[in-house]
Amino acid sequence: MKKTIALLLALVMVFALVGTSAFAAPVEVTIFNSKMEIQSQLEELANEWNADHDDVNITVYYSSDTVAAHMASRYAAKNPYVISMVDAKDIYSLGPEHALDMSDQDWVKDTTQAITVDGKVLGFPVCVEARGILYNASAIEAATGEAFDPAAIKTTEDFQALIDALIAGGMATPCGLQKEDWSLAAHFFASVYEMHDDPDAFIAGIKDGSVNLADDAVFNALMDTFDVMKANNWMKDAPLSAVREDTEMYLALGEIAFKYGGNWDWSDIKEFEPDENLGMMPVPSALEGYNDKLVGGGSKYFFIDNSVSAEQQEAAKQFLNWLVYDEAGQDFLVNTCALVPAFSNITLPVSDPLGASVKSYADTGAMVGNYNYLPDDHYAKVGISFQKYLGDQIDRAGFADEVTAYWATAEVGAH
Amino acid sequence: MKQNTLSYKVKQYLMFGGVGTALFLCVVIAPFLYGLYLTLTSWDGVSKAKPFVGFQNFAAAFQDTTYWQAMGRTLIYSVFAVILINIVAFALAYLVTSGVKGQNFFRAGFFVPNLIGGIVLGYVWQFVFNRAFVAIGKALGGSSVSLLATPNGAMFALILVSVWQYAGYMMLIYVAGFMSVSKDVQEASLIDGCTPAQAMKNVTIPLMRSSFVQCIFLSITRCFVVYDVNLSLTKGEPFGSSVMAAMHVYNQAFTYRNFGLGQAEAVILFLVCAIVGVTQVLVGKRGEVEA
Repeated sequence: MKKTIALLLALVMVFALVGTSAFAAPVEVTIFNSKMEIQSQLEELANEWNADHDDVNITVYYSSDTVAAHMASRYAAKNPYVISMVDAKDIYSLGPEHALDMSDQDWVKDTTQAITVDGKVLGFPVCVEARGILYNASAIEAATGEAFDPAAIKTTEDFQALIDALIAGGMATPCGLQKEDWSLAAHFFASVYEMHDDPDAFIAGIKDGSVNLADDAVFNALMDTFDVMKANNWMKDAPLSAVREDTEMYLALGEIAFKYGGNWDWSDIKEFEPDENLGMMPVPSALEGYNDKLVGGGSKYFFIDNSVSAEQQEAAKQFLNWLVYDEAGQDFLVNTCALVPAFSNITLPVSDPLGASVKSYADTGAMVGNYNYLPDDHYAKVGISFQKYLGDQIDRAGFADEVTAYWATAEVGAH
Repeated sequence: MKQNTLSYKVKQYLMFGGVGTALFLCVVIAPFLYGLYLTLTSWDGVSKAKPFVGFQNFAAAFQDTTYWQAMGRTLIYSVFAVILINIVAFALAYLVTSGVKGQNFFRAGFFVPNLIGGIVLGYVWQFVFNRAFVAIGKALGGSSVSLLATPNGAMFALILVSVWQYAGYMMLIYVAGFMSVSKDVQEASLIDGCTPAQAMKNVTIPLMRSSFVQCIFLSITRCFVVYDVNLSLTKGEPFGSSVMAAMHVYNQAFTYRNFGLGQAEAVILFLVCAIVGVTQVLVGKRGEVEA
């Protein structure tokens, strides 16, 4: 009996050996996804792809950790993903050491959003995202009784006048603001840098004291509009307890008319059976040339790890090309995931109203680019100061002081 | 075979403790030493280069005011949480050993919060604080501001949830303590004229000293390195006023990408925690008595 078992085991092992050499195992392609809202779509795609391609096996992973933190732990464990979806700043910090040069790929010519470091294309833009003010046009028209034209709201005064009209029409608190540090600091406050013609010089000025942030025109113009939203926030009594999903729900239902955010909010808003008349408009302000543009650009980038095998790199490149050039890949990006594609050859109409707004601004070039070189702790530390401002713990001058103090030791990323 | 030779003893040890020792070396001691090495570098957590910087990280850690604020906050939180956990746990243990009806059911019930992971527990309580309490407050015409939105409120919430989480666990140790006190000495003290309160104070509690030492040690060490409840309940908000030491260390190392500095701060946290814990055990053990 024992002998038979031993023999069987030996045979199994021999077959296992032969098996691996005779029938090539599929190439393992691991994909790290950091966009929670498309995780199930990506998993489904991987299943379909694996069924169609015997030679490649795609597995999708997700982590709710901060992207940089998750990447740090994977690289510390020397266990990188073949394809990783990261934020733009991570491409600059990780890319030069860990990312494969994709300059020779076809898709490079079809996008303006790829990230190039030292002449090498390291980041593949997953989608275009933009920040601005989300509006519910039906709710506005119902309250004011007049047609709503977002392009007519240029300045803070225009915005204030419209809000007054809304309040007169019965909407007590027409605005919604998030309390999250990333929304306040990485999105709203980052616009202060981005709406300077030369953000690098502006930050250098704060650092060496030649720019007084409290007197800065851009800072004050944007904070003026922020103050209007803050004063009319539906959670103004307890702005630091505002739950993002609640604000999105009220916008979708038309209880409020405006929310500061971006087209990513659609993934939550769509759950509340929203009015189709939603859209996005630029943050109104006194800044000529900036108050008619959304802020944004490429968002979330794929990079291919340069330490994995040549077959894995090849399969990864093939996958990225499929996304851009195969009809099924384009359909996946635009319709299945409801993303705004970053490639000019993809002409499928964007399905959701916020994405459609973003695309209309992007197509006409009315977009202020992202400043991708803020330090890793910027959103957290400036976020704390901004939350204090939102919660009335400090005033605008105090806020400017704290941000200036932050920049005394912080350094922008290399670029 | 001679049993008192060194090689015999070594072999015996390896046979029984070898696997455990090897695992302990691999998963605790080696990473710990490697961690100590990392405190001497300015590694960012991802790059291949780990530049050696000597003791700079420790110097920076001592100058990191937000770290020491977080440490002070952790101290305050720990003092309140440890005292309350142990008072509540002791009271619960007294209740469920005093012979009330259904005491086994209550023992299980009080222990349940400890079976729920800290992360889940934090989210559950976040809902309670942000929705339930706010709704009740509004209905009663009071304030609609969630406790979690104010610095003191967030701290109070953290302490409350920790007490709720650990009291049941510590209760079990106190229950064992109560059961181990012999009925004879308790009866003897009552016959000698003690009131029940005096018997508790002069007989039962001194005999349970080892339970106190254990419970206080466990609650101190857990409170000092609290992270999960901190993350899911308050996330350090509002405006960073509820960031505990462990969360600061994590942010420093992984989010701000100062791995060496974060690691140095972790080592300091470990030392503080070890000193407090060991001192407490030494002091506690000194006065232990046996019946």
